Amino acid sequence: MFLQTSIILGVIVVVYILALQLLKMSPELSMIISAFAGALVAGFGIPIRHIVEGSFAYLDIILTIVTATIFMNILEESKAISFIVKTVVTKFYKQRLVLLILLMLVLLLPGALTGAGSASVLISGGIVAMVLHSMGIPMVNVTAIVFLGAALSVVAPPVNIYAMIICGGVNMPYIGFFMPILIPTLILAIFTVIYLGWKGEPLELNAIIDKLPPVPAQMTGFKVYLPFIVLAILMVATRLLPHAFPILGIPLIFIISSVVALITVWLSGQKVNILLISKRTVKQLFPLIGTLVAVGIFVQILTLTGVRGLLVITVLSLPIWLVYIGLAVVLPVGEAILLYGIAAVLGVPLIFLFNSLGLNPILATVGIILICPLGDALPPTRIIGRLTVETVGYKDSYNNFLKACSVPWIVITIAGICLVIFANSFKFLLI
Amino acid sequence: MSNKWLRKTLIILLSVIMMVIAGREFLIWLNEKEPIVEGPGVTRVAKLSDYFADLKGTALDTNIYILEGEEDGGAVMVTAGVHTNELSGVMTNVILIENAHVEKGKVILIPFANNSAFTAGHPGEAYPMRYHIKTDWGSRWFRFGDRYTNPIHQWPDPEVYVHYPSGQSLSGFDIRNLNRTFPGKADGTITEKVGHAIMQVIEKENVDLFIDLHEAEPMYPVINTIVANQKAMDIAVIAEMNLSAFEGIKIGKEISPENLHGLTHREVGDHSRALSLLAETCDPIQDPLRGRTDEALIITGKDEFILKAAKLGLLYVPFDETGSHIDVRTGRHTSTVLEIISAFSELYPDKEIIVSDAPRYAEIIEKGVGYFLLKPRG
Repeated sequence: MFLQTSIILGVIVVVYILALQLLKMSPELSMIISAFAGALVAGFGIPIRHIVEGSFAYLDIILTIVTATIFMNILEESKAISFIVKTVVTKFYKQRLVLLILLMLVLLLPGALTGAGSASVLISGGIVAMVLHSMGIPMVNVTAIVFLGAALSVVAPPVNIYAMIICGGVNMPYIGFFMPILIPTLILAIFTVIYLGWKGEPLELNAIIDKLPPVPAQMTGFKVYLPFIVLAILMVATRLLPHAFPILGIPLIFIISSVVALITVWLSGQKVNILLISKRTVKQLFPLIGTLVAVGIFVQILTLTGVRGLLVITVLSLPIWLVYIGLAVVLPVGEAILLYGIAAVLGVPLIFLFNSLGLNPILATVGIILICPLGDALPPTRIIGRLTVETVGYKDSYNNFLKACSVPWIVITIAGICLVIFANSFKFLLI
Repeated sequence: MSNKWLRKTLIILLSVIMMVIAGREFLIWLNEKEPIVEGPGVTRVAKLSDYFADLKGTALDTNIYILEGEEDGGAVMVTAGVHTNELSGVMTNVILIENAHVEKGKVILIPFANNSAFTAGHPGEAYPMRYHIKTDWGSRWFRFGDRYTNPIHQWPDPEVYVHYPSGQSLSGFDIRNLNRTFPGKADGTITEKVGHAIMQVIEKENVDLFIDLHEAEPMYPVINTIVANQKAMDIAVIAEMNLSAFEGIKIGKEISPENLHGLTHREVGDHSRALSLLAETCDPIQDPLRGRTDEALIITGKDEFILKAAKLGLLYVPFDETGSHIDVRTGRHTSTVLEIISAFSELYPDKEIIVSDAPRYAEIIEKGVGYFLLKPRG
């Protein structure tokens, strides 16, 4: 079985590389084609039922991402995000440290709510980059801040897709993650923005206010925050009144919050075209949805053919020191190839291993998922890296951008590995 | 037509073809049920909805097979298919339905407790839809499903599932896990309604003893064991001793954790007069480090990766080249059920239950499960 499954794995890897490099297919199509090849070699033919079943693996996550991004796009369109940034800049333009931290929080918010780094880049990345650049921060550092902020926003609660995939794989509830994710993410995000953005010039308030998109006079105060308040209430209500409050599901909660956001837009005398926003959202998310569907199919075929088992037993057989050190390389590189699939393919067996060593599985999971999204700047996919460069208008070399990311990158990686190795010492985070 | 449109048209066409082919399979999975033969000992066949009308006409309604003796005695209920990828309990139930006689008391069998979970697989797990058992006259097929109620029948999941009535927080998807929703809720979700309906059967049929049959992956610590509600611990102790002494079956015993809610061994014991126990065997197809996922693994339980894990000391059960065959697993469960009934009868002689013509471990190993499966008519 070892030899046979190793051959199947070999075929999958070769076909994936050929499809990606020679045929210039997208990583998603390459994954699907290599899965087909793996199933064929394993003697399953083209297992259509498994392919379709696998494509549904992340349906709930996809619905969450789509509805959450519609919500964030309405807020962007209504200039609520601009209002928040303007408020922050106006109040704190003299206090560089506070301003940097608050801008990082604005950057984290869309990704934290949607679980997608692209949401942070697209919704708040551009506007935050504009303010950061006006603070005299070199463009390469601004780009690095936006990318690393987006990478950390993927980790930040409440929606963490990596954790959800790992929890599903190891049969562990997605409960108790909020604080263990929030605290390291905030510390690392603040470190990142201060390290890359501390040096610069004082902010010229009038100049930056003129540059920022105008906010309608009536889009202020309570109207800006009401959609967030409704969102928070609906999320908490199902937990506090579980047997009295209907189970809405996160997608419906975001839809209701989006309707509230539309009402606030209407109350502030603006018009937004929800159909256009929805179409733009789906277009914006299409690559991510494609990734999740492809990963679902890929994982199903890996399981069917026994390759998942081979990967799991291989990881479980390695010397533990090698596993710890390997996290720094394997997770970002795996992310660059498999995107979210890394959580299912490697995250799950790693958590089994760490759990068998007596390490707290929640904290070990947090350690792993801190490192993974860094790989979104690496080839072959460079998904969030490319998006960041385009969104903030960075024109210099991509390697210089990676160099600018290097110190926070190393710190985040060390933090992730420490969270795994010393998981039981960080139990105080399980509040 | 430009290349771009041609490519798009081809992709759409291919997707539609795949959807139609897969859709047909899903439809079969959703609607076709394996034939079960009512053996000579079956005196009544009821439905869960006979005890809780809300389930009538739903996908979660299921058959209840009742075997009654001529003499009055106690009543035992044996459930399987609470988790539908744990099949040796289903086999034990079917063997009892098709072979056993009850001389004294009453035996109530529910082989497909979560009927909805039998109608779909778990995306990512690549389970087969069915498995086949060879018999002397041909083969019998059975559905293989998921651990959770089909989302077609219950959706969406909350982010966090708060168990009724304890208030314990569980993962959102456990709201579709029947073994986390006991004792159920009359106006709850459809899975909670099944739990409530089973509690109604227990009450209305005056069930004294409740046994729930499960399987666990070799890397899971609660395996090859009997888990007993504290009120039923003496039964578990006697059953364990007798299984070891008379049949050479090594089985553990453990007490149901008092603060772990929603499971049958806890809630049935706490919310009814029945003494509740749960039994587990070793099921390799549930293990995440398993190799090829196919029918052969379901039947033979042989897997090289799990064997390697055993050599690395990662398993909670002995595991060797012989694997964990369905005959062994079904034999263990059948003997465990019979031994628990015997222990109960010994401790509560006024509620004695006597079951005959049910094969035990050695006989099932010798003849195979298929030997005890009757040929369906037609």
